[in-house]
Amino acid sequence: MLTFLRKRVVSSAIPLVFVVLGVFCLARLTGNPVNLYLPLSATAEQRAAFSAEHGFDQPILVQLWDYLGQVVQLDFGTSLRTDQPAAEMVLTAFPATLQLAAVTMLIAAAGAVLIGCLAAYRPNSLADRISSFLSMTAASIPDFWFAIMGVLVFGVSLEWLPTSGVSGGPEVWVLPIATLLIRPFGVLVQVVRGAMVAALSAPYTKVARSKGASEKRVVFGHALRNATTPALTVAGDLTIGLVNGAVVVETIFGWPGIGKLMIDSILQRDFAVLQAAVLLTAVTIFLLNILIDLCYALLDARVRQVVPA
Amino acid sequence: MLSSVRSRVLAVAAVVLCGSSCTVANSPSGDAGDAGSTLRVVLAQEPPTLEPCEASLTSTGVVVRSNISEPLLERDPGSGDLRPLLATAWRQTAPTTWTFDLRAGVIFHNGQPFTAQDAAFSIDRAVNSDLQCNVDGYVFDDDEKLGLEVSGDTGLTVHTVKPDPILPLRLSFVEMVPRTTSTTAKVREPVGTGPYAIESWETGVSITLRRNENYWGEPPAFPTARYVWRSEPSVRAAMITRGEADLATTLNPEDATEENSVAYPNNETTALRLDGREAPLDDIRVRKAIGMAVDREGIVGTLLAGLAEPAAQLIPDGVVGFNPTLKAAAYDPEAARALIREAAADGVPVEKKITLVARNTQFPRVAETAEALQYELAQVGLNVQIQMADTAAHLEYQLRPFPADVGPVALLIMHGNQAGDAAFTTSQYLRSNGPQSTFGTPELDARIAEAGGLAGPVRQDAFAAIFADQNESVAQYVHLAHMRGLLGIAKSVRYQPDSATGDEMRLAAVRPASAGEAR
Repeated sequence: MLTFLRKRVVSSAIPLVFVVLGVFCLARLTGNPVNLYLPLSATAEQRAAFSAEHGFDQPILVQLWDYLGQVVQLDFGTSLRTDQPAAEMVLTAFPATLQLAAVTMLIAAAGAVLIGCLAAYRPNSLADRISSFLSMTAASIPDFWFAIMGVLVFGVSLEWLPTSGVSGGPEVWVLPIATLLIRPFGVLVQVVRGAMVAALSAPYTKVARSKGASEKRVVFGHALRNATTPALTVAGDLTIGLVNGAVVVETIFGWPGIGKLMIDSILQRDFAVLQAAVLLTAVTIFLLNILIDLCYALLDARVRQVVPA
Repeated sequence: MLSSVRSRVLAVAAVVLCGSSCTVANSPSGDAGDAGSTLRVVLAQEPPTLEPCEASLTSTGVVVRSNISEPLLERDPGSGDLRPLLATAWRQTAPTTWTFDLRAGVIFHNGQPFTAQDAAFSIDRAVNSDLQCNVDGYVFDDDEKLGLEVSGDTGLTVHTVKPDPILPLRLSFVEMVPRTTSTTAKVREPVGTGPYAIESWETGVSITLRRNENYWGEPPAFPTARYVWRSEPSVRAAMITRGEADLATTLNPEDATEENSVAYPNNETTALRLDGREAPLDDIRVRKAIGMAVDREGIVGTLLAGLAEPAAQLIPDGVVGFNPTLKAAAYDPEAARALIREAAADGVPVEKKITLVARNTQFPRVAETAEALQYELAQVGLNVQIQMADTAAHLEYQLRPFPADVGPVALLIMHGNQAGDAAFTTSQYLRSNGPQSTFGTPELDARIAEAGGLAGPVRQDAFAAIFADQNESVAQYVHLAHMRGLLGIAKSVRYQPDSATGDEMRLAAVRPASAGEAR
């Protein structure tokens, strides 16, 4: 197991390095942020001084080397926009995204298992067709549209929920989570249903039934356990997508998470914050990948044998 | 093994969910605060800073100016007159000298008294220092140094190098801060003398102000005010409709109704800036043809939902220097085609690609406006390609030094003259070497310099003539429209927006609506 873990850490760390280097270089290709931070009529000397102060006048490789040297010392720089430490801003924003993603995936997984199992138990029944139609629709709806419709219908027309915000009771969670939930939920229902249909028709379930096991035990004890592996892989990817892509939800609902911070940092050419946000997100995704692989390996011994170095 | 891992994962998940949900959802009153006791304002974006010397930035000024900190005097957005604030009187005592009598009994939020030393300090910090304040670049020349002389606690004399007839107007942009404020770094949360003081700034969530109980003027109606920000205009409008906010900045026409919003002139003017250094835009016939090819009435009526009026100059009525005799060029595509043909016959490469650069979210339906302009210019024989840009990329085109090797550029700009005097427009947009001007003429430069030293009616006439001259003999700008803003306003409050509201929303001017009162 340790060998497996070591190999996965090495193979997962390589993309992480490329992501961090890529963001550093791509951010600088968008130009010098001097125009955003100096007065409109700033002189050439003032612009040069600003660039020199923040190292933007150095060749990009020199800037990169300096940056890596700082990161090794856990110094992620200072925000050009707010003058606050970039790490502090990122660590403040990150839990808000993490909690959205975690709650969303818990609800998506629980709901998908329930509905996927029900649909798979009687393939092509009315319940199966309805659930398939709804899950495919859910997986296809643009989250931006869904969010705005949610605000207009449940916030403005029905007045059941607040339009946005993070402070207040549990009701502030409903629209952001519903918006984030809809796509992973739709995808997961499809995956669980497909895996359960295959598992319920597999020889081992027939054997279980012939031995007199109850239907509940056959479905949840035998079939679901084996259907979990593909569902877990997809759920892992979806969780990563949530951590990485909560931008729409955070922007619309004013949720102070990492996605909104990244967008603001890009628009404001706030390189230090952008780099710190990407680095933390990449590390989180790296850890999530390791966790998913570990779970996958624990569930399926064959996986441990075929992981590439 | 599996059950052990599972239980640990569940334990971590429980901690994350419980812990962080307590962090985020911790107030029963919601982001914007309690209705009634809290004035709830929803902005389009979080201010990057509340530093007073950055208050000429819209995103900062809308919170800071006249709420947290105050200047010596302020411009009445309606009449254009200067009104006393922390100075009670002022006079020009010599061509290069202005003297101010300061208000006694004013106390900063930190308990220190406001004196002439603080006023001199604040001006010195914002104008004479190396802090690189936006107010320095926008209102004063960066290399300008003011001489400051204090007499007692309430006497202040300001010396300029050259005669400056509008120095008090310029100083109305300098917010007063106590002498304890840093002179080497900008401050994020300042101390001021305004009717509200900063209570808390929860980064990413809200800014809360509390009423200054020691305020020298009339106390504001609301004990607290809270700003939140939502970048999506539909959500800002929904918050007003739903009663979650009292005021919301910059609504889109499609979200606005008579019940949730009010339109107001915001002093902004849209225009196409034509780079006169590059062919075919270096030919005045082509530039004038573009002016004739634009259907301003059509753009205003359809794309801008009637919330604007066709423009013939960069400043609207009410700003010193506005020329009421100028009329927007008539929509005449046939005449435009004739001018383009004439230029082509003289060897001007009219078929060369012109890049029309526009900024996302600059105003509602900006992308559609760019498309309409592209179509109309194509109709008269020009080859235009649209490039939508974010703010930073747009600034690359907007400010000197301009990007090289990008070909002829028509830049869609929106200029807001909140200072109320054409000097701030002409120095930036019309002077040959103006920070936002691609070219000019020595004659126009001389007239701008001369007008800047005048006062009274002759100043008005001189600047009005400059705008006429730009249209006739330079034509760097094809003016589109004088814009109007849409302010979201709930039934719960009474507030009359003015041309300064977008940059300076005075919370003390907002009061709760009484029962049955019509808006």
